[in-house]
Amino acid sequence: MDSDKKKKMNRRTFLKGAASAAIAGSAAVTVGCEGKGLLGSSEAYALEFQEYFKKYYRVMTPVERQETVTRLEKLAKIKQDITVNIDTTKPGENVLFGYAFNVTRCEGYMECIQACVKENNLDRKSNTQYIQIFEMEPGQMTPDQGDSKFFHMVPQDGHFYMGVQCFHCENPPCVKACPTKATWKEDDGIVVVDYDWCIGCRYCMAACPYMGRRFNWNEPEVPKDEITKNQHYLGNRKRVKGMMEKCTFCIQRTRKGKLTACAEACPTGARVFGNLLDPDSEIRFVLENKKVYRLKEDLGTEPKFWYFID
Amino acid sequence: MKNPKFKESLFYIIPFYVLSFCALSGLAILFSSSAAFSSDMTMTLKVKKVTAKLDKATQVKAIIPLPKDIVKATMDYQGGSFFTEARKSKIQRFQCTSCHNNKAISINNASKISHDDIKIDHGDKEGPLSCNTCHYENDRDFLVTSKGSKIDMDHVYDMCGQCHFRQKKDWIGGAHGKRITYWAGERVVKNCTSCHNPHSPLFKKRWPKTYSVPLK
Repeated sequence: MDSDKKKKMNRRTFLKGAASAAIAGSAAVTVGCEGKGLLGSSEAYALEFQEYFKKYYRVMTPVERQETVTRLEKLAKIKQDITVNIDTTKPGENVLFGYAFNVTRCEGYMECIQACVKENNLDRKSNTQYIQIFEMEPGQMTPDQGDSKFFHMVPQDGHFYMGVQCFHCENPPCVKACPTKATWKEDDGIVVVDYDWCIGCRYCMAACPYMGRRFNWNEPEVPKDEITKNQHYLGNRKRVKGMMEKCTFCIQRTRKGKLTACAEACPTGARVFGNLLDPDSEIRFVLENKKVYRLKEDLGTEPKFWYFID
Repeated sequence: MKNPKFKESLFYIIPFYVLSFCALSGLAILFSSSAAFSSDMTMTLKVKKVTAKLDKATQVKAIIPLPKDIVKATMDYQGGSFFTEARKSKIQRFQCTSCHNNKAISINNASKISHDDIKIDHGDKEGPLSCNTCHYENDRDFLVTSKGSKIDMDHVYDMCGQCHFRQKKDWIGGAHGKRITYWAGERVVKNCTSCHNPHSPLFKKRWPKTYSVPLK
């Protein structure tokens, strides 16, 4: 009788035993995780679940945009314990942003870089910076001949300084390269990224001739007290590992009429920002009256960032 | 075809037709007004063709507050009137006439105590500037031009612009100096003395605010 009662170890019994053990084990693990709060609160989980299934930003209706913004604000409150204000301001009418950089006036102070990092909540751990300032010698025309890693008293004799960032081209090669259309040019000329649509393939990083794009190789870390609370969905909201990002001409500021953080921070007034479609603007004055040039003009990317000299 | 004369004449007929076809199609391309060729115009040219004055209120749907302590500039820029930062409230010992009047000075070494910190380093060795080049002797609350006209301390650009006329022209237009906080709304710019110390205007060297790491 013992030999009859003893279950024969065949495939079927083994699989039955293994399946029930797996179910019991995972139930135990889940209960354990839930008890320790590792899965996060259920509200955050629900919000993230809904966020995962949201649509492409450009086809969202205004109601859906407001919903996603509300979810993101709630998530920020739950996960980081800060109150942010993410808006979805549309471009203004008859606005096309342009930027001019006075190469004679830049002295390499890098105040623009620091202001940009603070305003756009950039990752401090990997020192992500949208702007690069190059120290160049007279006669050098392009930044790849300059040195951006300088750290000494400025301005150094016999050198001049120029800065590069995303130039927001009118004919952007990065937009053409994106396989998911996660990056596009808005009506006011700003080239933006929908961070949740980006798959992180970095084709745009390869396509950009000006090294304007940055990738989050690690989870971005921003000290809690330095986070800028006024955010835009396409601008300085929380980004995660694996997303592309770039200068957005401070979309959260410029769509409300403010200057970009870099233009405001520059102590020498080397940066001029304005509306190209306004014939009275300062940027139009610069284009008409100063000796202007753009980088890599022959590529036909039509950047909206000019350099000029006094 | 077997006729040799006909074959000979082909040497003239075929090139004639080919050349006339090329010429006609070339002319057609030259004078065509198809959309494909109008996109030859670069973005800069398209933007420069936009000369219609904008209604500034529609550019941004936000209320643009004006900073306090500004004055209207004495001249207009290309877009009309603009504002600049007022200076008088920031000058430490303003109302110069509180000391510089017809009363006798009762403090010992008054000039050392009040103006000793000012070192004039303006102008080169051949033509250094002195106090009275810019400050009006008869009314110390004002500045003076070389022609003798009084300039208010808030409108110092009218006086600096005598020698620095190129910078003044650029400043009026927007290529020199700095706009304060807003690109939309009323134009408020920094004054000459907001950035330049009028007594020693050269900027000193300093350390950069931060550093950069190589791009990954």
